[in-house]
Amino acid sequence: MLFLAAALPILFWNGGPDSATALREAGIERVAVPAGQATGWGTGVSVEAFDPAKAVKLATPSVEYRANEATASRSPWLDANGWTLLRRPSARYYYDVPGPAAALAAAEAFSYGANAMVRTDGAGLKPFAAMLRFLRSIETLELSPVADIGFVDDGGDVAGEVLNLMLRNNLLVSIVPKPDPRLKLNVRLGSREFPMEDAQDPGGMAHTVRARLTDEKRSLRIYGTQVVLARVLRGSGRMRILLLNYDGARRAVDGLRVRVPGSFPNHRAAAAGSSSVQLLDYVTEGGATEFTVVDLSK
Amino acid sequence: MPGPYPGQVVKVHSEKSLELPEDQVNQNVVRQMLASGMKALAGDARDEDAWRRFISKDDVVGIKVNCSGAPRICSAPEVVGAIVEKLTAIGVPADHIYVYERFENQLRTVPYAKYLPSGVSIWAAEESRGTILGYDPRTYVETSFFGEEDTRSNLARLVSEKLTKIINVPNAKEHQASGVTGCLKNIAYGNFSNVARSHQFEKTHTYSLIGTLAATEPVRSRVVLHIMDGLRGVWHAGPFSNDPRFRFYPKLMMFGTDPVAMDRQLIDLIDNKRKAEGAISVWDRSREHLGDNRDINKNRYIREPGHIEYASRLGLGVYDQQKIKVQTVEL
Repeated sequence: MLFLAAALPILFWNGGPDSATALREAGIERVAVPAGQATGWGTGVSVEAFDPAKAVKLATPSVEYRANEATASRSPWLDANGWTLLRRPSARYYYDVPGPAAALAAAEAFSYGANAMVRTDGAGLKPFAAMLRFLRSIETLELSPVADIGFVDDGGDVAGEVLNLMLRNNLLVSIVPKPDPRLKLNVRLGSREFPMEDAQDPGGMAHTVRARLTDEKRSLRIYGTQVVLARVLRGSGRMRILLLNYDGARRAVDGLRVRVPGSFPNHRAAAAGSSSVQLLDYVTEGGATEFTVVDLSK
Repeated sequence: MPGPYPGQVVKVHSEKSLELPEDQVNQNVVRQMLASGMKALAGDARDEDAWRRFISKDDVVGIKVNCSGAPRICSAPEVVGAIVEKLTAIGVPADHIYVYERFENQLRTVPYAKYLPSGVSIWAAEESRGTILGYDPRTYVETSFFGEEDTRSNLARLVSEKLTKIINVPNAKEHQASGVTGCLKNIAYGNFSNVARSHQFEKTHTYSLIGTLAATEPVRSRVVLHIMDGLRGVWHAGPFSNDPRFRFYPKLMMFGTDPVAMDRQLIDLIDNKRKAEGAISVWDRSREHLGDNRDINKNRYIREPGHIEYASRLGLGVYDQQKIKVQTVEL
């Protein structure tokens, strides 16, 4: 998958042409608007018509801690859309995200190369625009998503939730039409190894998949946080790791450690909202590269 | 560990160590208890000589306190201050001494600074709860209990990077998950990150994790002395001390280099108190006693006091009471 500037999400905006100055001041150069409002904008802001009803609506990416709710684990609940974006890579998507979480929506869509519109409110405008500037600054490279697991998706609800929970556990998954022998593990619900009956507990099934793969074979491990999800891309001897803090609208992650197989002695790091990113304890040994991200706010 | 005195424990008791109901520690009495305990443990006539058996003036010394029940039940600042007095008396520079704990929000509730000379550092691994930045990314125990994503427990950076010796100063407390929390748990769960995952569910993994962490280098070789502050204690719903009904006052300090032998005494101390209060034993494993622990016969977990015997099998000390020599000093 090639990540181009064209894959940047677009602001869906209900305001009329009189809001063009505010948009430009916020750093927004391109918007989508409801049909019938696409004229009269003049220059400075590129405008296209968009009907949200014709797009796949996505959830607001966020974290719910549910501290007062009895759950099977104390892990926070992440509302993440990776499973939907992975299922329909060519679809057009629509987020309706008020406030600073609009920035996370933009980052999530970008990390999957999704064609997405993001509607936000006044409070979300500047964070969204700042995220767009950051995403635009990322060097365009020919990179493909890294996957350890091939998932034969039947398109059903159960499969969707299993896919969701695998991604939320930072298992790197690719949807395949049939088992792909190049991948480390292939999963087809209903098979002898992954019975549909067991998949009624999607979390348990995600753990089963992880156990079958084994942590040693995983192309990504993240330690020290339960609210950061990653995408890993690779090509031409380079690897790109995109880290998304799903709680970023509220609080920073105060340190997380990343491990990837392979030796990558040289690195560059960038973070939204920060002019410099410090990677601590960067080591390449034992056939793997590890580093600590000191602060991840978004 | 178990150091030069395996299977040996010194208990020093003084009724004058704690004024009740004021709950006020008498630091002069604590100093006497400390001197008596150290002399009895090492067999020296002068307590400075006893201290020099464990610590040299060139060491960088960490005092591992326990603040999980703070501010009421914790390693008392009067005890910690008296220990620091002895360290400086044998020549350890104040700026080579660290009083440390994992959680800054617990540590700051205890007025340690008031009892410490200028130059002693007070350090917490987690300035904000959950941060991994205070831990050494290269020293960890990796294990998966229930499919958790973060499978590592990392050692505090202070321990791996700075300290040459550690004095462990735990309390005498019941623990809902591990049965009791004394020497072993304070150096294990008190030095490593991401350990609460071992007791997420009613059947816990404290049985094996506590000893495993305590036996991990460099913790094992750097912890040279255990001084248990049992002036105050918790006999139920520990390690916290939210309910005053469950506090008690043994007015006791224990000394040793063998954490297993000391914690073996702690089991009896806690269980005898529980028996006196009409509570079930820490050894009880029946599911009928799982529940809201405001009731003294209920608990949220199946307790695992067997973690102490498990640690003995890792070579950390002597568990068999028949083989443990206990000296008792009454002041």
